[in-house]
Amino acid sequence: MSETSDTVPVTVLTGYLGAGKTTLLNRILTENHGKKFAVVINEFGELGVDNDLVIDADEEVFEMNNGCICCTVRGDLVRILGGLMKRRGKFDGIIVETTGLANPAPVAQTFFMDEDVKRATRLDAIVTVVDAKNLIARLADSKEAEEQIAFADLIVLNKMDLVSEDEAAEVERRIKAINPYAEIRRATRSAVPVESVIGRDAFKLERILEREPDFLTSDEHEHNEEVMSMSFEVSQPIDAEKFNAWISQLLQAKGQDLLRTKGILAYQGEENRFAFQAVHMIADGDFIGPWKEGDPRKSKIVFIGRNLNRPQLRRGFEGCVASQGAA
Amino acid sequence: MSEGMTGSVEDADFLLSTRGAGRELGAWVVGVAFGRDGKGAAFGLGDGTLHLADPALPEAEWRRLEAHDGACLTLVPDFADGFLSGGDDGKLLRVLPDGGVSALADFGMMKWVEHIATHPSGLRAVAVGKAVHLLDKASAKLKALAHPSTVGGVAFDAKGKRIAAGHYNGVSLWFVNSREDKPRVLPWKGSHQLVAFSPDGTHVVSTMQENALHGWRLTDQQDMRMSGYPTKIKSFSFTGKGRWMATAGADCVVLWPFFAGGPMGKPPVELAGGDGVLCTQVACHPQHEVVAAGFQDGLVLMAEIGSGKIVPVAAPGRGAVSALAWNATGTHLAFGTETGFAGLVDLSRRG
Ligand SMILES: [Zn+2]
Repeated sequence: MSETSDTVPVTVLTGYLGAGKTTLLNRILTENHGKKFAVVINEFGELGVDNDLVIDADEEVFEMNNGCICCTVRGDLVRILGGLMKRRGKFDGIIVETTGLANPAPVAQTFFMDEDVKRATRLDAIVTVVDAKNLIARLADSKEAEEQIAFADLIVLNKMDLVSEDEAAEVERRIKAINPYAEIRRATRSAVPVESVIGRDAFKLERILEREPDFLTSDEHEHNEEVMSMSFEVSQPIDAEKFNAWISQLLQAKGQDLLRTKGILAYQGEENRFAFQAVHMIADGDFIGPWKEGDPRKSKIVFIGRNLNRPQLRRGFEGCVASQGAA
Repeated sequence: MSEGMTGSVEDADFLLSTRGAGRELGAWVVGVAFGRDGKGAAFGLGDGTLHLADPALPEAEWRRLEAHDGACLTLVPDFADGFLSGGDDGKLLRVLPDGGVSALADFGMMKWVEHIATHPSGLRAVAVGKAVHLLDKASAKLKALAHPSTVGGVAFDAKGKRIAAGHYNGVSLWFVNSREDKPRVLPWKGSHQLVAFSPDGTHVVSTMQENALHGWRLTDQQDMRMSGYPTKIKSFSFTGKGRWMATAGADCVVLWPFFAGGPMGKPPVELAGGDGVLCTQVACHPQHEVVAAGFQDGLVLMAEIGSGKIVPVAAPGRGAVSALAWNATGTHLAFGTETGFAGLVDLSRRG
């Protein structure tokens, strides 16, 4: 993903119908921040959107790589972002609202897979608005609701006025079991500070695993079809070749179940940290700055997905440790 | 840089400075076109303006029109004279060389008029979302052709009898005059964008979302995959008699032979390569086997296919070439760049 500052940031807003997505969108647009946004909405939007530059998108999910069902992009976004780039300078950022039933993977993958989109824009964050009152029911009956949580960098836990503290705590527990890395902001009528939504740069490799979450090890709760997350750490240096071989084989074989993968790695003989992320099979990685003086050089990898096999993933990751003595 | 290809940078501007003119227009040049009657050259920009020049007097003042409320998305010659321009304001405009503008259709503010094709018989095909609207000379809507997904490109065959439209998982072929509107779909997995018929009407070629072109031989529906490109292909063009198809998308002009059984099983010819700069636009001369090419660094050149001889038109340094076109007789060449430079060269003029 392009890291240059002349790329236009794109914020993706997801969430079920009625969760308060459009209310949040209108808040961002009307607040006095001096920024201009181009807004891409879907044709089933519930409320009017108050903005000069609104584009009506017809969500078109295209399979790439000769029809792999997880290697998908949003064809309409490729087209629309390409068109918007021809009038760049007219806006500071782009906000893409998805339909309630959308799986966020094709949107995210568009920013990894399409070279024109990569060259001109960067994915700033995926923001998911959820309804505190109804989320648990949604998670029970919809894959997309889980995926929207799994992909989120920020979750706006909305309609807090309709739930008790106990109910809210239970909803947060469920969210963290799926995605412990997302920041949760409680809100009523989608009232959250605009700067908490826009300009997060959450997909920048430098920011991967920056937040140290309160990881809930919910081992008692491992239904296979449910989305969950697992994290592994090793303190010995990693062999870059072994890691590459393992991760590419893993993504190829299990990519459809792996929604998001993120890692920070200490390669043997390397002073810089290696950051890595993937959406399904599509991966991206690069060296980011050096390890902090005195910090332990621990390598860490996090998987968010379905049917995760903890012992197998642990063995695989531990198998990437460099053999002793080899420089 | 390879020796002898472009010579020095100062020399590379010789044609532009002695037989043409260039202007900084201030926004991404989306399209350039010459009127089919030879009158007028037009540039369509990402800020919604159109700029009109006189091919007979490139250095005379160019006329600037505020045309679209948004961006111009496509600009083509109309069927006889003047131009058609499509915008992200939903408008289809007809523009005359004297600056006259009329709106032929308004599809609504949130709809994009993205692709237009015209034919000298008077037909105009206008792609908006999933539909291709077919208009006649008088701008009356003849029909609207529906597709399963957004149309990425539209083209007429040389006779104006068929229309091709690229979309997800294939290209649809429509007969203009057929009473029942069902297309013949040429299937191939993936997203198809720009389309063209070979001049003899025997092949259809599309650019894909992936770094490849796809082609179909219509007689037996044989597939042709043209891959191996380092980037997406944003431009391709057949030579006048259809012997070659030139494509952008590599660090040279790639030419596929459409004769002697090709392009099946025939390797392409590469021209004007060697300095590692990506070719972004190509346009074949309407008669001769000569191809004009624009590059990522702003270089514009002409290459003779038979001899490989290169003649520079404009030097690098003015932004990636985003639009390139010949006039109908092949005496003039016009181009534009992503950063807003536009050039017009009269090659028939004595130096
Ligand atoms: Zn896949």
